[in-house]
Amino acid sequence: MAENYEAEDRTEDAAFIERIAASLRAPEHAQPSFEERLMEQVRSEGSALYPGLGSSDVSWWRRKRVIRLSPLTGMAMAAGISAIIALSGIAIGSRIGAPNRNVARTVQPAAVPDTVQLVRFVFVDSRASSVELVGDFNEWTRGSATLKLSGAPGVWAVSVPVTPGRHEYAFIVNGSRWVADPLAVRTSDDFGTESSVIRVRVPGKSET
Amino acid sequence: MTGSSDAELIAEVLNGNIDSFAGLVRRHQDACARFAMRMLGSRVDADDVLQSAFMRAFRGLRGCKDPEHFGGWLYQIVINECRTYASRQRRREQRFPSAAAAIENAVAPGSEGEVDPDVGGHIERALSTLPSDQREAFLLKHVEELTYEEIAEITGVSVSALKMRVKRACDTLRGLLEGVYHG
Repeated sequence: MAENYEAEDRTEDAAFIERIAASLRAPEHAQPSFEERLMEQVRSEGSALYPGLGSSDVSWWRRKRVIRLSPLTGMAMAAGISAIIALSGIAIGSRIGAPNRNVARTVQPAAVPDTVQLVRFVFVDSRASSVELVGDFNEWTRGSATLKLSGAPGVWAVSVPVTPGRHEYAFIVNGSRWVADPLAVRTSDDFGTESSVIRVRVPGKSET
Repeated sequence: MTGSSDAELIAEVLNGNIDSFAGLVRRHQDACARFAMRMLGSRVDADDVLQSAFMRAFRGLRGCKDPEHFGGWLYQIVINECRTYASRQRRREQRFPSAAAAIENAVAPGSEGEVDPDVGGHIERALSTLPSDQREAFLLKHVEELTYEEIAEITGVSVSALKMRVKRACDTLRGLLEGVYHG
C-alpha cells in the first residue's frame, strides 16, 4: 500500500514538473531589430577578423601585426604587469604585520588537488565585527566564506578553494560595507563598484 | 543561404563572406533567446546577453572545432554569458542589499490557496528565486530537454551534480507553486 502511494507520488511529481516546464517551453523571439544591430557590429569587425583567403597566403596567426601603443597605454600595461608580480611577491613573502585598519592580504600557499588551489584571504580591521568574502568563485554569494579571527587582534582570515585563472572578489565588513582589497589590483564593474583581482596560477607553472 | 548547413556557413564566414553569419544568427537566435529569457527573467537583459554571446561566437569562430555542432558550442557561450551576467547582477545586489531585498519581496509567491490566472507569471517568478546553478540545470533538462550527458558536456558539471541541482530545483518549484496549481 505504502509502495503504491510512493509510486503515485512520483507520477504526480513528474506531471507537476511537466506542467511547469511546458509553460516555460513557449517560444521566445529575439527583438525584431536584434539581427540588424548584431550584423552591423559583425560587419564593422568582420573584415579585420576574416579578410578572406585571397588577401594573403600566410596563415592568419602567422601574419605580422603592427600594434601601436601610446606612451600612456604602455605605462598602464607595465603597471599592470608589476601589479601582478607584486601580488606574487605578497603570496611568497606574506607576513601579517602590525594591524593597520583595513589592510587585506591574499596569500596563496597551500597546494590542493588537481586544478583547484586553496587561497588564504586575510583582512585586517581592528574595528570589524564580521567579515565575509564574496567573489566570482562563490558566485558572489554571502555566507559561503566567512572570515574568522585568526589570533592576532583584528586579523580575519579564510581559506577558499579557487580554480586557476583571473578572479574578482571583495570583502563585506560588518554585514554591509563593501571593501575592495587595498593591496590587490582593482577593477570596476559596469556600475562603478570596485572589486579586487587575483590571478591564481596553475600549480607548477610560473605564469601569473 | 538558409539551406546551407552550419558548417558551410561557418566556412563562408572564415573565407571572408561576413554576411553568411546572419544565416547562423537566424537559425539559432530564438532557441538562445528562450534560454536567456528564462535564465535572466528579462527580455532586455536577454537581448544584451545574446548580442554579447553572438559577438563572442563570431570573434572566436575559428575555435569552433566541430562546425556541424555549432549549436552546442553556441549554447556553451550563451550559458557562460548568462552566468557572467547573473554574477554581475549578484555583485550589484550584494553592493546594494536594500534593493536586493525589494526585488526578493517582489517575487514572493502568491498566498496559499489563491489561484492566480497569471500562472505563467507565477512560474517565472518562482524560477527567478532559484539559485542560478539550479535554474540553469532545470532549464536545460526540463525546458530545453537535453540529456544529463549533453548538459554535462556543455556545462562542464558532472552528471551527479546536475541531477542534484535539478532535484533541488524541482523541490523548490513544487513548494512555491503547489498553491498556484492545487489551490
